[in-house]
Amino acid sequence: MSTPQRKTDIGPPHYKQFLPPVIQKNYGQWKYHEELSAGVMVHVSESGDEIYTVRVASPRLISTDFIREISDIADKYCDGYLRFTSRHNVEFLLSDKSKLEPLQKELKDKGFAIGGIGNRVSNLVHTQGWVHCHSAATDASGLVKVLMDEFYDYFTSKELPSRVRLAVACCTNMCGAVHCSDIALVGVHRKPPIPDHERIPNQCEIPSTIGSCPTGAISPDPAKKSLKINDEKCMYCGNCYSVCPALPIADPDNDGVAIVVGGKVGSLRNGPKFSKLVYPWLPNNPPRWPEVVNAVKGILEVYAKNARKHERVGEWVERIGWEKFFKLTGIPFTFQHIDDFTFARETWRTSAAFKW
Amino acid sequence: MEKEEIKQKIYGLVEKSVGKKKLKSSDIQKTISAEAGIARDEVKDALRELIDEGKLIYTYFGGSFVEIPPKQ
Amino acid sequence: MSEMRKTPLLDDLEKGPWPSFVTEMKKAAAKSEMSNDLLGALEQCYKDKKTHWKHGGIVGVRGYGGGVIGRYSDIPEQFPGVAHFHTVRVNQPSAWFYKTDSLREICGIWDKYGSGLTNFHGSTGDMILLGTKTENLETIFAELSSRGWDLGGSGSALRTPSCCVGPARCEWSNIDTLDITYSLTEEFQDEMHRPAFPYKYKFKVSGCAVDCVAAIARADCAIIGTWKGDIKIDQAEVQRYAKNGMDINAEIVNMCPTKCITYNGKELKIENEDCSRCMHCITKMTKALRPGGERGATILIGSHAPFVKGAQLSQVIVPFMKMEPPYTEIKELTRKIWEWWDEYGKNRERIGELIERKGMRDFLEYIGVDPHPAMIKEPRRDPFYFWTTDELK
Repeated sequence: MSTPQRKTDIGPPHYKQFLPPVIQKNYGQWKYHEELSAGVMVHVSESGDEIYTVRVASPRLISTDFIREISDIADKYCDGYLRFTSRHNVEFLLSDKSKLEPLQKELKDKGFAIGGIGNRVSNLVHTQGWVHCHSAATDASGLVKVLMDEFYDYFTSKELPSRVRLAVACCTNMCGAVHCSDIALVGVHRKPPIPDHERIPNQCEIPSTIGSCPTGAISPDPAKKSLKINDEKCMYCGNCYSVCPALPIADPDNDGVAIVVGGKVGSLRNGPKFSKLVYPWLPNNPPRWPEVVNAVKGILEVYAKNARKHERVGEWVERIGWEKFFKLTGIPFTFQHIDDFTFARETWRTSAAFKW
Repeated sequence: MEKEEIKQKIYGLVEKSVGKKKLKSSDIQKTISAEAGIARDEVKDALRELIDEGKLIYTYFGGSFVEIPPKQ
Repeated sequence: MSEMRKTPLLDDLEKGPWPSFVTEMKKAAAKSEMSNDLLGALEQCYKDKKTHWKHGGIVGVRGYGGGVIGRYSDIPEQFPGVAHFHTVRVNQPSAWFYKTDSLREICGIWDKYGSGLTNFHGSTGDMILLGTKTENLETIFAELSSRGWDLGGSGSALRTPSCCVGPARCEWSNIDTLDITYSLTEEFQDEMHRPAFPYKYKFKVSGCAVDCVAAIARADCAIIGTWKGDIKIDQAEVQRYAKNGMDINAEIVNMCPTKCITYNGKELKIENEDCSRCMHCITKMTKALRPGGERGATILIGSHAPFVKGAQLSQVIVPFMKMEPPYTEIKELTRKIWEWWDEYGKNRERIGELIERKGMRDFLEYIGVDPHPAMIKEPRRDPFYFWTTDELK
């Protein structure tokens, strides 16, 4: 069989062909929506038309068999229409209310997790990890799996004060929205890269590698036509390794997972926020990372118990103060928590008022 | 200037840079348009042809660059 | 087909209620030698607690400088099936709506020429086809593009734009996020496929300030829907929320950041002049409150993750822009921004970093935008600032 004629610069297919008829008819005319359960909502149009959404989790890393399975379900109940969310959930869209119960029953029978809507833990935004990334300091899919096994009920039923957005990035490149999530994990290194002097001259551009270092820790080593690392200046970010493959930085015993909390992206109430460091390092302990799961669980439970309704993690911590956050959670406070990088000044306390 | 001539200039520039500095597409466009006194779009167009023909390729490592393809 | 790889560590991740990626990998491994070796290679990572991938490269499809990410195992002798294991990024349709026949078509191509494993979707929004060999790339591209699918962006180029569900299924959307995303993607095909920027550039389009695609944190250009008129109130619905147990003073009035709402038990009032349009009250009382008047978008520029010197959020550049087809204003503004970035940006310098290095004034003057108080949280604190000769006697 011959290969078909390739085309370039066509862009994606036009979205309109993928919109269910009820959406085409009521596009831009939606009036309100209601959350009917943890995984079901209805949107009602000015015209009175309704569209029901049933949301289920996917592990993001999915086989073609999975895609065919959800396609078969969408054919049976949704006239062949479905969508994905920005957090890797699958949404089945239907306008015939009578199919809602049978659809949910079939999804449950097939083991799908229905949920993620409202003040709950939704699916995680995450990165490739050891499955497919060269700079991963930890795995991402594995961490997502063990966290969501633990928080399964917070996806499918149990409510929290507000929505809680978890994320995992397997290195400080942060290809996910880790830097603005309620609770997020990030893979970190703790040792400087070790220059491979044989490979550097052939594989790396000296000036751009020097330029990639945020702390000025890299300098030329003219005798070797290579590079030197000033270990005292290196903060192990790994940006140099992205530019120069002959600066390996991975170290199995010292790489691990940091936990950051209190970020959000919406402008609701008090604007988007960055996530802040609470656990500087926990060990990579695959396949189930018990230390990491326990730490996240501890934070989530203290939040669930103490936050007011509609308060996101970051809003709650700002209300009670970080000193109280560390007290309530029992997380040890260390030198690593005090910023000594770009934004340090803005983060130091410059008031005599704080809590004991 | 004829397109073939622009293409030769581009190829020459990339060849000259091998082992010294990796060139980005915009480096090539800026350098050739200044040297030859022609519009950047003309350079861009000629560069696109060189790449479509496979005489030059895009590479990526800590940024995207235009380079001569490795010998098979 | 060789024997299935033994994966005692990964097998543990098939237990528990959450859907398992390991189960997905095994399904693919039953049909693909590549995926079987991927399982083995991942098990090795779990044992060694380190990654076994090498990065970078020169693979791609003819004429394009992006859309394919070269990936090679560092232990190919142990796992020959993943010696090459390249990613193909496919530009997703706006807001990730699909019809099942299209999905099946892609599955067919991917089972034939790739690993059978995918991500729906990658962090930027593309459909990710995970793992194929160099010699299959051209065929995959021909199979996809002849059916109307194109590749997404990678490298120092425009990355695949993405958007929230918008007017397709959300009452809060102030702009047509799907159409804007499609239109920008089509307009800038060359910038997406032929990398010519200092570094990556991302567009994300959100219909309102809830920002479901994290545009403000992750896009070099965030287009976020907003409105200029008064919030429309349905007082009967307000009463219904109260009757159904909502503590309107605690949950709405006291949580309003500008304190522009009052409620006397009968009537909800909003001082619209003081409203900052944060969306809190509207999202909590969606049946009772709705944006009103003129709709458009706020354009924010410059966010990126921590590399190199710390993360930035996008900052307001155009407080209000009408967003109507063919979206000429945002397209022209974008070209001006790129010109300035092209002129001054260093390799791997994001637009937000360049603005910080060169200054907002330089940037705003070049793109032709006047200063506006909506651009800042507060004016400068220091007494050190520039004057130009034109401004002096």
